[in-house]
Amino acid sequence: MPTLSGFSPRSLQLLTKRRDRERGKREKMAPIAVGDILPDGTLPCFDENDQLQQVSIHALAAGKKVILFGVPGAFTPTCSVKHVPGFIEKAEELKAKGVAEILLISVNDPFVMKAWAKSYPEGKHIKFLADGSATYTHALGLELDLSEKGLGTRSRRFALLVDDLKVKVANIESGGEFTVSSAEEILKTL
Amino acid sequence: GDDIVAAAPNVSLQKARTWDEGVSSKFSTTPLSDIFKGKKVVIFGLPGAYTGVCSAQHVPSYKNNIEKFKAKGIDSVICVAVNDPYTLNGWVEKLQAKDAIEFYGDFDGKFHKSLDLGVDLSAALLGPRSHRWSAYVEDGKIKAFNVENAPSEFKVSGGEKILSQI
Repeated sequence: MPTLSGFSPRSLQLLTKRRDRERGKREKMAPIAVGDILPDGTLPCFDENDQLQQVSIHALAAGKKVILFGVPGAFTPTCSVKHVPGFIEKAEELKAKGVAEILLISVNDPFVMKAWAKSYPEGKHIKFLADGSATYTHALGLELDLSEKGLGTRSRRFALLVDDLKVKVANIESGGEFTVSSAEEILKTL
Repeated sequence: GDDIVAAAPNVSLQKARTWDEGVSSKFSTTPLSDIFKGKKVVIFGLPGAYTGVCSAQHVPSYKNNIEKFKAKGIDSVICVAVNDPYTLNGWVEKLQAKDAIEFYGDFDGKFHKSLDLGVDLSAALLGPRSHRWSAYVEDGKIKAFNVENAPSEFKVSGGEKILSQI
């Protein structure tokens, strides 16, 4: 039995996750934090030619600086009117500072994400990834229950700066509010 | 016929709306009895907003026949899908179908599960959804009911078919 000292809560959880998976359990993960390794995952995304791609997070992010930001839901106001446009506006600046990819994830299916992406004609620098069953959101420990609003399990609003798979900046809102997770805040750290 | 309200007690649906409308209505939901009691309703369900057959064929077959439904004394034509009400609203506005059809979200799939119409479409990247179906319901009693063999098909659940069954 490994000793408990020297293990962060999250890394301990990752050790027991395999056992739990085998037992069919999906326990809540501790939220991702600075210093953690970004979990791997495969998420569907329609590309510019309307072809469905299965995107591997690690393949996109290994050896590079990437931003991963998450929103509670496509077609909802703060997400649509503030959060996404902020990253579209700052995309060139972020790229100039060495960010190779800007990835957006939401608990929506890929058809909804595709339609939402199309509503941003200037959004070509952002990849809209669909985490329809909230599997990746769960791996990040960032689920949010919005059943009362008719949304079900979604993601908290967040923005991460990741360098060669290591989380350097983790700006996570407690719910859907929009304070630290903006493009401006991440830009300040670059 | 079977009573649709009795088959799904305690189930409510969420009317397609913007977030602001959701806030101002305190995220209110609509009980099935409000939708069906004392009314002649044509209702159809589909796997998902923004997907192929749903957008290109299913909804248009009702939208284009709305006058015929009204002529037969139908009080409401309703479309329901396992989507949240905001995504549904975005889709409805894109289809310009708001005037003809009332759209409701069954965001947790409870309504469809109660009618045994739930189906796992994870293979199509959609997760738990509903079959493609249509029904004519009079004062809560199902008078006609059509379900496709596969959710991707569009043979029996269109507007013309149910029109002939009223």
